[in-house]
Amino acid sequence: MSIFSTLSQKPWMADQAAIDNNHIGQAVSMPLPRVALYVLMAVIGVLFSLFSVAYIGRMAYGDWRTLPEPTLLWLNTAIIMLSSISFHQATKNAKENQIKRSREYLLLSGVLTFGFIVGQLFVWRELVSFGYFASTNPSYAFFYLLTALHILHLAGGLIAWTVVTIKSFIPQKETSDFALKVNLCAVYWHFLLIVWALLFTMLLLT
Amino acid sequence: MSESIIPESELEEVELYHAKSWWTEKVFTQDAKLIAIQYGLTAFAIGFVALVLSWFMRIQIAFPELSIISEGTYYQFITMHGMIMVVYLLTALFLGAFGNYMIPLMVGARDMVFPYLNMVSYWTYLVAVLVLFVSFFTPGGPTGAGWTLYPPQAILGGTPGQESGIILMLVSLCIFIVGFTMGGLNYVITILQARTRGMTLMRMPLTVWGIFTATVLALFAFPALFVSAVMMLFDKILLTSFFMPALVEFGENLTYGGGSPILFQHLFWFFGHPEVYIVALPAFGIVSDLISIHARKNIFGFRMMVWAIVGIGALSFIVWAHHMYVSGMNPYFGFFFATTTLIIAVPTALKVYNWILTLWKGNINLTIPMLFCLGFIVTFLNGGLTGLFLGNVIVDVPLSDTYFVVAHFHMVMGIAPVLVILGAIYHWFPLITGKMLHEGMGRFHFWVTFVGSYLIYFPMHYLGFIGVPRRYYEMGQTEALYTSSAADLNVFITLAALAVGFAQLVFIFNVFWSAKRGIIAEKNPWNATSLEWQTPEQPPIHGNFGKELPVVYRWAYDYSVPGAEDDYIPQDVPNEDVKLADGYSELGVEKT
Repeated sequence: MSIFSTLSQKPWMADQAAIDNNHIGQAVSMPLPRVALYVLMAVIGVLFSLFSVAYIGRMAYGDWRTLPEPTLLWLNTAIIMLSSISFHQATKNAKENQIKRSREYLLLSGVLTFGFIVGQLFVWRELVSFGYFASTNPSYAFFYLLTALHILHLAGGLIAWTVVTIKSFIPQKETSDFALKVNLCAVYWHFLLIVWALLFTMLLLT
Repeated sequence: MSESIIPESELEEVELYHAKSWWTEKVFTQDAKLIAIQYGLTAFAIGFVALVLSWFMRIQIAFPELSIISEGTYYQFITMHGMIMVVYLLTALFLGAFGNYMIPLMVGARDMVFPYLNMVSYWTYLVAVLVLFVSFFTPGGPTGAGWTLYPPQAILGGTPGQESGIILMLVSLCIFIVGFTMGGLNYVITILQARTRGMTLMRMPLTVWGIFTATVLALFAFPALFVSAVMMLFDKILLTSFFMPALVEFGENLTYGGGSPILFQHLFWFFGHPEVYIVALPAFGIVSDLISIHARKNIFGFRMMVWAIVGIGALSFIVWAHHMYVSGMNPYFGFFFATTTLIIAVPTALKVYNWILTLWKGNINLTIPMLFCLGFIVTFLNGGLTGLFLGNVIVDVPLSDTYFVVAHFHMVMGIAPVLVILGAIYHWFPLITGKMLHEGMGRFHFWVTFVGSYLIYFPMHYLGFIGVPRRYYEMGQTEALYTSSAADLNVFITLAALAVGFAQLVFIFNVFWSAKRGIIAEKNPWNATSLEWQTPEQPPIHGNFGKELPVVYRWAYDYSVPGAEDDYIPQDVPNEDVKLADGYSELGVEKT
């Protein structure tokens, strides 16, 4: 049922009450952490969208200069893509209860993510060495700001990754939600990959 | 979202967290009810600071010859008063305090779905409050940029607090937003996923609907404030030029150049206007429930009330630029926002009509909560009507920088929501503490607050009409431009403000006195139907509902149902267990 049919219910009517009495009290049939992650991603999505709107708004002014994107960004993009693929494999193995293989992919994902973050910091160093400081031009400032924010969100994800990776070393019960947790990490990584891809495209186009 | 019935087997019993020490039970608690009280006490404490600031400002305006504060201090007090009241008091109280206390109890849950995150949310909020408060004691003091923090002046020399006050303000806001997001996730997901059996979305009391919609708004609006705060921090600390145009200060060219102050205004108000409804929607919800309970009648037009809450929430995102009519915008742009602003009056007016129609032929008990509700309706109506004036570009432009605006927003989002908060405290105090608030002190509190507020803000509309500018710490030579009544009125307003302030001290005394020595409240003293009053213990203990969660059989507004012996039927009572009145064979059916 859609939100519209929900909102058109008449809860005071006897026939509606008969239906409502059997309602289990959940809006969607989904584990709580998954719902939480989706809501969180929506909020993060809004945050990056608003930064992008500010970026486009600020571009309209005369002092805007195009940022020369260092080639290293392409390599970093490839690394974060591989990290996402690796997470996908980790989920697949966790679902098949192959914890050991899942752990290997988890570790690989973590290493690649660290690699991406270090790579981004190298890009910063390269820009600074060219004299492109945040105060030089708003386009550079936006670059530092957006990449820093993206790194912070990845760093937050790495906390969850650490917990899940440690969990992978502990023998799992059959009812364990290990696969779910790996999957949620993977979803978050895919999401941040998409965010990065959109940011990178915006940077390239402007 | 789906409302289809979900097989029971898919539901897992959520394990309730049990504290292992005094510290984790009382201080770093994960119980939403205690977290709510922590939120409430912190918000009231910092709110009291803001109230005291307003007394200083009022005394300065009325008696400028005393010079009790300097012009710089006046701006600092204005700024801190505004920001604290809007964000750190009202938002934290409605969502952090009422949200935490009421959501799990009203939807029939044992606690929030993520209790640990809930705890972290409160402590993050406390850090935000402390960071803000510390700015009173740093060199240069708190920021005096005005609560809207408009650049470029917010971070330039000459504005009080530009040394560190503005940085602490921006950092504090960022911390607040991070903390709120944790709490907000909890509120939304608890409402969506942790309701008890039988509690459909449309069976939830309007209080929960109001808090739910406001939380969704906050989750999507606060990022705009976060973006503007972070970008301004960059401008201040890293000397970027996001918002800063080329400037000459004390004869010297600054390094800034090319930035857009208007961009900041758009971002700020994209947050700022939904913020009005983040405060108003929970108030709408609570007042609907209180009116229904204390008038012993089901709320009139329940579905429309829900639609109005959702509709107002959606519309609140497309009216922001009506705060910027004087920024030199394109007239067509202003016309669009004037139109959307006037459209939002429709669902809002609908709610006012429905409250009045709920009262119509109701069994109105003039309890203290009901008095506050009635006070709210007229105050909100007054504030709303002046909003129609200001929503029109052509009327707003001459009035924008006058006391008319101050009167408008204090009526509509200062006094009106505060009346609801106070009414709600009188209503739920017996649930929270097990004691009744003292009746005599309560009535004194209401009448002085209500009448006093009108004595403060009605004359301010007049001051605005005759053109008295806001933000001036004294009229000075401009006084010659107005009738002498303006100065006299300022004295009058200040005396009224101090009287209202005194009434709040009585209220604070009443809260602490009654919590210790008040009359012990009987169970469910207002005969309410909603689940928070149906707990085995009053006040409810950890876990809320004893061994078994309640099962819901009806909506929250079964008051004065024909055929029922009592004038209310709690939500967890099935039809079979309802005591029938004489002459009835079943609910609504008379014996033949």
